[in-house]
Amino acid sequence: MNRSHRPPTSHTSRVFPAVAALILLLSGLASSSALGQPMAKQLQKLKALAPARGYVIAHKDVKNPPKLFGGPISVTVTQSSGGVFVALPDRRRLDTYVFGTPSMPRAFAGTPGINGVPPPAREAEDDHYTRMKKPSPFGDKYLVMADGRMELHAVDATAVDGATTEDQVRFKASWKDKQGNTYEVRCCGMLASHGMEFPTFGGVVTNHILHGVTRLGTALMPTEFAYVAFWGMGEVRKNGKVLDKPRLIHGMLTEYVRGEGYKLAFDDEVTPTRMQFHLMIPPFMPDPPNLSFTEKPVKTGFTLPNGMELPFWHVMFENLETKAERGQ
Amino acid sequence: MMTFRITLLSGLFTLSVLSAACSSAQTPPKAPPAPDAVVGMTNTLRFEPDTVRVPVGGTVEWRNTSLLVHTVTGDPARATLEGSARLPEGAEPFDSGNLEPEAVFRHTFTVPGVYGYFCIPHEGAKMKGVVIVSPKQ
Repeated sequence: MNRSHRPPTSHTSRVFPAVAALILLLSGLASSSALGQPMAKQLQKLKALAPARGYVIAHKDVKNPPKLFGGPISVTVTQSSGGVFVALPDRRRLDTYVFGTPSMPRAFAGTPGINGVPPPAREAEDDHYTRMKKPSPFGDKYLVMADGRMELHAVDATAVDGATTEDQVRFKASWKDKQGNTYEVRCCGMLASHGMEFPTFGGVVTNHILHGVTRLGTALMPTEFAYVAFWGMGEVRKNGKVLDKPRLIHGMLTEYVRGEGYKLAFDDEVTPTRMQFHLMIPPFMPDPPNLSFTEKPVKTGFTLPNGMELPFWHVMFENLETKAERGQ
Repeated sequence: MMTFRITLLSGLFTLSVLSAACSSAQTPPKAPPAPDAVVGMTNTLRFEPDTVRVPVGGTVEWRNTSLLVHTVTGDPARATLEGSARLPEGAEPFDSGNLEPEAVFRHTFTVPGVYGYFCIPHEGAKMKGVVIVSPKQ
């Protein structure tokens, strides 16, 4: 482990130097249309290597996808008072359990940021990765905002991805900044009956492990057990006015994945005995014809101290009440 | 200041109603004695200060100075992580329940020793504190 870091030399790794600039996608600073032709081709290659692509292809056109074993599960998650944690752009520390080492990288394929992370986007010391070179929505920096409210009613009825789904979601969440502006998210006009680069299980999944090593969702979040998770298209509001619609909305109730100082945990730091709810509106849009994602910053209406608009919402709710039962 | 004024006015109104209803209620209720220590609860998921010392029979006041909901839980039965809570032998567990922003909780410690307590929703983020209760000299 004390060997100095050498550039990777495998075929897959030769792709990486050419896509180093793609990491800009993670911070919403570039679009694929702005990339040169060779770069765009490399990005397509990287997306095509998304590990669950074959699985999604096998399921996406199934007209009557199988039902959940044992029957549907109905879940309600609410927060009726207290603040929320709003993630700020940060350079995620990289977990060896998830990302491997420079000599044996893992979790590199798929759209950068929303799925894998190409090794050129990672800082390394000796033979281990340290942190991302650029900020992403996943890190240790955050703000607390007041008056967080959230209500999720979900039904997990359909077991796997398909062309149709019987899953259901009614979701709304809101919080307020120091100036008294109210930010609100509503979902779902449409559920993701199948995923793009990874499965979405009909739009709602219960009692399943996600993120990290699973490659179901971004690898930048730790591997975590989700009691319920959903993916769908919804809208983003500020002070009652719709700012952005439709947007990909992802929410999940999981085991607790923050540590001291609210640092985003590595896999061996997760607390299985406590829960938190994550709301994520990524700076990406689904690209169904290509079973992939394209970069598109979210119009959040929230201005960062540097004058830029926050290009995503990643909000944690932790004053929760939960209820789940079999049946609709 | 505004909060103080509103509180004072509503207090006077309450007193006048009580006076009318019960002629023996002539003296205003006593303000609670000042606590022996005050602990803040922050947006950074800390009890500040994280350790306080009080004499036996002393009272600690926790003030939720954050925008978040916290708890003050000195009950090992409610802890899910080792080291979150501990009590001296013979001491009763205590729990504030959910404390909304600006809420206050007080607890009087009658058994000397070292008390470890934590915040239930932020136990995973290691939000915990210690009260050291000194025996009578």
